[in-house]
Amino acid sequence: MKTLFLKDMRYRQARVVLTALGITVLISLILLLGGIMNGMRIQARQYVESTGADVWISAEGSGGAFIGFSLVVEEYMAFLNAGQGLVPNSASPLIFAQARPNVRGKSTKAIVVGYKLGQLGGPKRAIEGRMFTASNFEDYRPEDPVPYEVVVDEKMGLEIGEQITLGDEKVRVVGKTSSLMFVLDTPLLFMDVRIAQKLLLGNTPHVNMMIAKVNENFPVPEVATQYDEYETIETRTLQQTVGNIIEYYVDEPMKAVQFLRVMLWLAAGILVGMITYVTMLEKTQEIGVLKAIGAANRYVMTLLLKQVALTSAVGVILGLILSYVFAVAAPIFVKIHFAESIIVASISFLVCCGSGYLAARRAITVDPMIAFRGEI
Amino acid sequence: MPAIVEGNGLTKRFGTGDATVVAIDSVDITIEESELVMIMGDSGCGKTTLISLLGCILTPDAGDIRIDGEPVDPTAQDMSVIRREKIGFVFQLFHLLPYLTALENVMIAMDLARTKTEEAESRATELLTQVGLSDRLLHRPAQLSGGEKQRVSFARALANRPKVIFADEPTANLDSRQSDNLMSLIQELRQEHQTTVAIVTHHEGLRKNADRIIQMKDGRIIAE
Ligand SMILES: Nc1ncnc2c1ncn2[C@@H]1O[C@H](COP(=O)(O)OP(=O)(O)OP(=O)(O)O)[C@@H](O)[C@H]1O
Ligand SMILES: [Mg+2]
Repeated sequence: MKTLFLKDMRYRQARVVLTALGITVLISLILLLGGIMNGMRIQARQYVESTGADVWISAEGSGGAFIGFSLVVEEYMAFLNAGQGLVPNSASPLIFAQARPNVRGKSTKAIVVGYKLGQLGGPKRAIEGRMFTASNFEDYRPEDPVPYEVVVDEKMGLEIGEQITLGDEKVRVVGKTSSLMFVLDTPLLFMDVRIAQKLLLGNTPHVNMMIAKVNENFPVPEVATQYDEYETIETRTLQQTVGNIIEYYVDEPMKAVQFLRVMLWLAAGILVGMITYVTMLEKTQEIGVLKAIGAANRYVMTLLLKQVALTSAVGVILGLILSYVFAVAAPIFVKIHFAESIIVASISFLVCCGSGYLAARRAITVDPMIAFRGEI
Repeated sequence: MPAIVEGNGLTKRFGTGDATVVAIDSVDITIEESELVMIMGDSGCGKTTLISLLGCILTPDAGDIRIDGEPVDPTAQDMSVIRREKIGFVFQLFHLLPYLTALENVMIAMDLARTKTEEAESRATELLTQVGLSDRLLHRPAQLSGGEKQRVSFARALANRPKVIFADEPTANLDSRQSDNLMSLIQELRQEHQTTVAIVTHHEGLRKNADRIIQMKDGRIIAE
């Protein structure tokens, strides 16, 4: 009877359904956590890569402009632009700072990107409205008035003409850019580097970093190493910068989450093992009877494994589907890679089957003599 | 008559040290073809242990067993093969699988022996008709009376055309009318299938059905 295992499962359907649901929830959480980290990784790199810069220069000892505290003076611009290996005049000042603008009366998480219009570091044009008015960066005069204008990430949901408060100042939204959110859906506020200096750096002639393009004929790593040798600055390639950001913003803080994922796997395995084991205990007599009437151990094992495999498969597949539903419904950016999810699902399936197998292996050692006894 | 089941010098102990119980003590026993043997004796005298040994679900500490003339060697043979091909069991508590119908409960015995499903189904139907359950084929154990359940388990025991059926207190959970019915059914089936039957029982009233009675006491056979 090929369907014997199904009949048994139907008889114990409440337990089967609950086990499968348990697996479903655990698997979808495992996938969702992976998806959250993937999402963070994608967001960690998308702004940096969009700038088109090849080298990232920050203050010595900062460990990279996105990680440590870095201030460099604007004089370096001239030095970089005169240097060999860089595309002439590609060196661009950049301020990249966490901020809490007050948006529609609510303190909101955002990142201020101050750059020079037309240079590297931010969009060249807006997808709606216009870009901010550019000021004169090279000729630093603290007393010069600058129009407080900002171009916002479209995902912020702000209207053109609206005002947001940064520090004590009101800044007007003049345009929108297509979304390039940073890690954990942090939206970017693009503004002129001079305004950013005024608002965030006490109107001093500093920036957080300078970025530049490397001349096609020069290998990027060599140029970076060459600039890195100067005592007051650190230089990193795009790849190093992205690596730093991912490590600092994703991998390090998400270590606990990674650990949690492993624990969830363990939980899924233990859940299946436990329920299989309890079911086996309940079925001891039944297994004993099957053996007494001539079932080989293999027969019983196959029967039990089919049940474990079907329950696990249903749980894992539902978990896979549910994780995509969660990903859409999640309040943050989640990216579940299909291939990765299939691998995770397969491993989860094996974990569940493995623990079910261990429980079943114990179960088939039942002494068939038990069939002659009454309740045990 | 040739011997279907033979046991020589069978001994089985349970437990160790001071707690050792000699459940079967150097028992010699022969059950002949087509016989209906009853094994009787006080509780704890070793009846269940004896038929477990003879039915190859328990390994003796000493002694040897021959089934249908062939020696049984638990160390070299797969006991499950002997159990499903040569032996049928009937238990006091029926032990039908709760999730299967009467028909499927009989079919499963044949499934263990890899009989084709269609063949198993027709034989199971036939056997259940013989035990008078042709109108209960699709009932589950929970929907059957004790007597009906025991008849299903007899049909299951007969399914693979065993050489011998061992029944441990098959009537203990039945009322006297049901057990009389069952006994006459066993007699009928025995004639029809030429099967050897060994029944363990406490019911003195069943004595009259036996060809031979084996009386046990403290792990030994004291009278035949
Ligand atoms: N698995 C076991 N472990 C320890 N002792 C056992 C075991 N099985 C049986 N015994 C002991 O062996 C002896 C014989 O037991 P057995 O079940 O064969 O008796 P029985 O004649 O069938 O009794 P009853 O009529 O009550 O069913 C008893 O003393 C019992 O306690
Ligand atoms: Mg007994």
